Amino acid sequence: MFGKLTKIFLLVLLSVSIGNAEEGNWRIVNYWSEWCAPCRIEIPMFNSLSEELADKNISIVGVNFDEDPREITLEIAEELGVSFPTLTMAQVGELALRPPDVMPTTYILTPENEVVTKLIGMQKKEDILKELVKLGIEN
Amino acid sequence: MKTENLQFLLIFIAVFVSNGLIAAPQELSEGSIEYFVSPAPKNSALSRVVSDKSGRIYLSWVSQEGDLARFEYSELMGNDWSNPETISEGDDWFVNWADFPMLSVNAGNMAALWLRMSAKGTYDYNIEASFFAAGARNWSEARIIHNDGVNAEHGFVSMLPMGGGSTMFTWLDGRNTKLEDGYGEMTLRAGVFDATGNKLNEWELDHRVCDCCQTSSALTAKGPIVVYRDRSENEIRDTSVIRHINGKWTEPESIHNDNWQISGCPVNGPSVSANEEQVAVAWFTAKDDTPKVQLALSADSGDSFSSPIVVASLKTNGRVGTAILDSGEIVVSWMDTTEADAVIMLSLFSAEGKLLDNYKVAKSSASRRSGFPIIEEVGNSVYVSWTDISSVSQVKVARLVFE
Repeated sequence: MFGKLTKIFLLVLLSVSIGNAEEGNWRIVNYWSEWCAPCRIEIPMFNSLSEELADKNISIVGVNFDEDPREITLEIAEELGVSFPTLTMAQVGELALRPPDVMPTTYILTPENEVVTKLIGMQKKEDILKELVKLGIEN
Repeated sequence: MKTENLQFLLIFIAVFVSNGLIAAPQELSEGSIEYFVSPAPKNSALSRVVSDKSGRIYLSWVSQEGDLARFEYSELMGNDWSNPETISEGDDWFVNWADFPMLSVNAGNMAALWLRMSAKGTYDYNIEASFFAAGARNWSEARIIHNDGVNAEHGFVSMLPMGGGSTMFTWLDGRNTKLEDGYGEMTLRAGVFDATGNKLNEWELDHRVCDCCQTSSALTAKGPIVVYRDRSENEIRDTSVIRHINGKWTEPESIHNDNWQISGCPVNGPSVSANEEQVAVAWFTAKDDTPKVQLALSADSGDSFSSPIVVASLKTNGRVGTAILDSGEIVVSWMDTTEADAVIMLSLFSAEGKLLDNYKVAKSSASRRSGFPIIEEVGNSVYVSWTDISSVSQVKVARLVFE
């Protein structure tokens, strides 16, 4: 019983810490799905970009488009090699984004969670960097 | 406002309304929609309702217990559904909200398909089918309907009952995606199987199509018609049609040049229905990030199509279905996402494409878990199945009578 409660507490703590870490950051929100080939192709690019932007107040986070239960979502993220954080459905709900019509879709959000860019379809690193430059948050 | 101006305004409005220029959607009057007690258990989803020419109605679904997926069906007997029968089950199936098992019925014969992972830890899966020939006691042993032997994606199948108890399968076939550097092209293929599952014919219909949208097929007076989301060299992903006429497949043709250019998957395939020479095709598009459900009609088995009629725009996420009633009227199903809860909608059109009415069938959800509503016509009725995810996921079914 104690073990289970501890596990739940740690999961909640992790969720809160992900939220806090992103506070004040611009966010790149990437919707992915396991069955979406273009998603699988662009994930390594987002992994690499995530590391590059880590010290620039720009976070990359992912959303499992299929809304699988959390445990399954994390399993799929691991299988796909997603190394950036995957949001919980509650966190996705807080963003109040309209679910995309096309997979993959990537949003760029201000620190106030305002959508300033919607990128539909598979992206290249230069596409994302170009958008960040356009928004004045990256040189 | 002066009295004469007010009178003029009222006359003006009356003239417009009487000419049908102001569409006034109404909800169906109570009593015309019947909600059945669902034969599907809790934790069921991925339903389809299907009928044969004689009007027998079947509902299929997938129920899950842990990793085990069970494909079941029930037949409507009067106003009650029969006890569920299991077609197949497995713990290595690819179970997905957009690409899921299907049952086809054809003069006492049945064919069923599901998707089974072909290699562990990948996204590769095969289409397996089983056949229940009229008079047989059991479903046949499952067989893979494609013979490429390549571990790749195969799915988004449509099934079309043909003459002599045979069934045409149309599917997305990823065999070429594994033959090229990077990710190759998804193809569209079709095959005809007899009532016992022997393959009579197989064709590649299009060498480059969108990767993850449903296909749909129907039988016109001139032969089978297939609709699907195409993919041009420069990533235009509009709806195309291909037909089998006089023993040959026509070249793919766009239903309408929406020019929706996307390097991605909409997961929102078109739907076609046919009754002799009358054909109705509905599809979703979102060019310029403007979601839209459109309908095109044909009175010559698909030789030509009308300009698109906009069924819904802006507040829709598509997930379309079509049905042609015996009266010649056309029903299009789609999802309305105006409110926080999505609504399953049916729009009724005259044979000429005039909007007659809109009906709210049920509250749903824009969530992927709610899946795709499916409609099927019998006479002047339409059966609708969907997944209710308001509490535990469960398949629901209703009937609307258009008299």
